[in-house]
Amino acid sequence: MELARELIGLFSAFVIPVILVGFPLYGLYKRVPVYETFVEGAKEGFGVAVRIIPYLVAILFAIGMFRASGAMDALIALLNPVLEPIGFPAEVLPMAIIRPLTGSGSAGLVADMVARYGEDSLFVKMAAVMFGSTETTFYVVAVYFGAVNIKRTRHAIPAGLTADIAAMLFAVWVVRLLFG
Amino acid sequence: MLNYIWAALLISAFVFAGVSDIGDLSRDTYRNGQPLPVVLEFPQGTAAIDGRTQVRIRINAGVYQDFYGTDESPAASYDGVLLRTGEGMVLRFDAGAALPEPLETIRGVSRSNDDELQGTVEGFLTPVLGLGDDPTAAEATVQFEPVRFVKMTAIGAAALDFAETAAGIAIGLIGVLALFLGVMKIAEEAGIIYAIVRVVRPVLRPLFPDVPDDHPALGMIALNLTANVFGLGNAATPFGIKAMEELQKLNPSEDTATNPMVMLLAVNTASVQLVPPVLLLALLGLQINRLIFAIIITTGLSLLVAIIAARLYGKLPGSRASDPNRKRPFGEQPREAGRDSRRGEG
Repeated sequence: MELARELIGLFSAFVIPVILVGFPLYGLYKRVPVYETFVEGAKEGFGVAVRIIPYLVAILFAIGMFRASGAMDALIALLNPVLEPIGFPAEVLPMAIIRPLTGSGSAGLVADMVARYGEDSLFVKMAAVMFGSTETTFYVVAVYFGAVNIKRTRHAIPAGLTADIAAMLFAVWVVRLLFG
Repeated sequence: MLNYIWAALLISAFVFAGVSDIGDLSRDTYRNGQPLPVVLEFPQGTAAIDGRTQVRIRINAGVYQDFYGTDESPAASYDGVLLRTGEGMVLRFDAGAALPEPLETIRGVSRSNDDELQGTVEGFLTPVLGLGDDPTAAEATVQFEPVRFVKMTAIGAAALDFAETAAGIAIGLIGVLALFLGVMKIAEEAGIIYAIVRVVRPVLRPLFPDVPDDHPALGMIALNLTANVFGLGNAATPFGIKAMEELQKLNPSEDTATNPMVMLLAVNTASVQLVPPVLLLALLGLQINRLIFAIIITTGLSLLVAIIAARLYGKLPGSRASDPNRKRPFGEQPREAGRDSRRGEG
């Protein structure tokens, strides 16, 4: 386990440098005018960033209002009686709901839970696994679809949320199994 | 779909804020217009009261709980200052004081320019009379500004705040995007993407059956997933965007997602990660070592669910009807005339 982690850590340290150095090097070998090509490609960076702004604003401000209104707490109160019987603890429910909505918000929640329940508690482990094993679905939708101006997302959100819900349940069960 | 979720977020925010504010008004949670009884101590003696006097504010826990009808209790004492102004005596709690609810909320409204809770002192007799046998303390009552529609104000503020954050995030991406899009351009010109496509085709083929065999989109997707696996979120985003652009070139529609796009998104939100996010490492420290295994299992299982869900939901009548590739004759590549796969997007 320790060795595997060391190896993975080593690999991940090399991925970006290898891409950033290896690609231009290979390009040079293929007689591509690397500097000019790089600059030409990099020019798109600004356009892409600007293009996703309206999508990000639309999603993030709605989520911000939803959180500030206290609707989140109501949702948690509503879901709790349903989830308690299947062994889903109320303490980690806020994490499960916030995770797909905001990355920084859920990180704050992990920090908050560490302070409240202690670093070694089962709840913190569940929340951390939830954090580590899923992405901020709504952010990914806004950025990826925003970049190509896709407005009708079809079944993307249901599929993403299904995976998120599954991940939340798996996180609780796996942590129970390994540490409980 | 996003239409409904988006509208639901906004409407529920408005309804909840409204209900909670009206509840506050009918319960009079903030005791608007009623002064809170406090005891002020003057460490330098009562004789020294002038324009600006250091005081210690004591709030009796029982009185506080009765007054606001709450279970929270205030600290033993708070430091503050007593100011003599044109409108009378003003009591200011020091900034950063850990206040119990509802005082904490009241501070958001009834405050000085430096975010200190402040209220006007009423029923405070001058010259100050000693309290009992303690000549340096006096009873007084403090009147805070009325608090109304806290949540309504809060959701308005949150909307403005998050709009700013969103633009900030996008602007913050420019540098990294430029860096990786630049390198990807080289990779494209040098043919690296096609080499990658050949390697990953057997793995990605079943997931993206609608993408032509040698299409660069597969290479971009492979790079995006690789960056994800190694926890390199910053690098994964440009690759993912590039992959989307490639997929968009295959899309006959301007604004409707195709099945491969949905699959790419589903696989990304499941986020397979062998390396935990840096943020988690910062929060939990070495404890993370013991969680890695749990994270890998969970993320693997949820990836499976994501793939199945994307595939399954794509077969639903609603998704079929909205599929941009629906009307194409079978066997034909969904590519519009003049829309070459190598042509750049707008």
